[in-house]
Amino acid sequence: MAATRRSVFRSEEDSMWRKPAEGKPSSESYNQPVSSSAPVESSLAPQPSPAPAPPAPSRSLADSAPVALGGNASRITSGLKINGEITGSADLYIDGEVQGKLRLGSARVTVGPNGRVQADIEAREIVVEGQVDGNLKAGERAHFGSSSRVNGSVMTPRIGIDDGARLRGKVETVQAAPARPTSSGIKQEATETLQPVEASVKSE
Amino acid sequence: MAKARPAAPSSAAGVAPSKPGPSAAAAPAPSNVRVSNALKEFLWLISDVPQGRILDLGPVWQSTVSFFVDKGYRVSTEDLLRTWKEFLTAEEEGFRRAPVGATAERISPAALADKFLESALQYQERSFHGVLAWDLLDYFDPEVTPRLMERLAQLIHPGGAMLAMFHSRAAERFHRYRVVDGQTIELIPAPTLAVHAHVFQNREILGLFAEFRSSKTFVGRDQVREGLFLK
Repeated sequence: MAATRRSVFRSEEDSMWRKPAEGKPSSESYNQPVSSSAPVESSLAPQPSPAPAPPAPSRSLADSAPVALGGNASRITSGLKINGEITGSADLYIDGEVQGKLRLGSARVTVGPNGRVQADIEAREIVVEGQVDGNLKAGERAHFGSSSRVNGSVMTPRIGIDDGARLRGKVETVQAAPARPTSSGIKQEATETLQPVEASVKSE
Repeated sequence: MAKARPAAPSSAAGVAPSKPGPSAAAAPAPSNVRVSNALKEFLWLISDVPQGRILDLGPVWQSTVSFFVDKGYRVSTEDLLRTWKEFLTAEEEGFRRAPVGATAERISPAALADKFLESALQYQERSFHGVLAWDLLDYFDPEVTPRLMERLAQLIHPGGAMLAMFHSRAAERFHRYRVVDGQTIELIPAPTLAVHAHVFQNREILGLFAEFRSSKTFVGRDQVREGLFLK
């Protein structure tokens, strides 16, 4: 049985569907009768010409698996609860609970599977495997693991999302923050002065 | 300047289970893809809007987010069906825990929908240029759907488009959807989150989208109706 576009429900304003003819999807392509035995895979097969342009690397958002956390990262382990603002330049791993604000502009913040964060997070890299209620702003990349639960907007140049991740919010891309060259032209990393952590810690 | 014409699909909308081949090991192909004319038209309709906003009412997928963000759109996701089920579960739990003799009463689906919308779909009016509803309207109680549609219509910018799909018979399996490319979507078999609640007749669909200016439908070989609605 041939299967084609069947009908138009309504057409109160026919012109609303009209755009410049050269931009309109070809109606001929819809009207071509197609045998039900026609392999649909053929529509997905690479076309001989024109050759598809390779994707521009700079625009690619797909991100690989999260990088392993460095051994010198600070850790908020399961059973700890912190209320307050955390700032600084050291990597941070959160498997406990944090409420407040996290500003670690040149570091990586990882929310572990048991981590519960109710805070806006600003960091170079943000990796989430637990739950975050707050807005995320990553300077380089954000990655949401399969067990992640995020409620909030995400601003990042690159994003990685594993199947099973849950996001309720907006994803917006921003330009990656340019690396700050030193006088010798070498990229400068993590030179911010460590800020005091103002927080109250409660063990459970 | 004329817009680039999208590549024409070589087939009408339909489902095409891919077959594993020798190359599958290197790059696993989508297991269950569907050529979607409605998606192609949807993209064409919103292509005039620079940095438009898209609302995906399904779960978040890397491929869908990347597809739209690469084109300069901002994407919001809200897994509406899952949120609804969690809301119902919480309501049921609250009802069960109510002390005996309390005045807790089961409320109607429509009233539940109103309560649900106090926390769901909380966006500014006219803030989206495109909404991807997939087939979720089939899974809501018929009393709930009009409330959802009323809210969704408020969220869509005039001239914006909404893509929705309707099964012509009760869906045998629950699927999620993600965008593969400009004319292809992938059906992801998923644990049943909700049972198929209602098979919409065409006139019922028109009633749901009464606040929209126009609509088109595309019927696939599997009899799934893809609807594209213009506000």
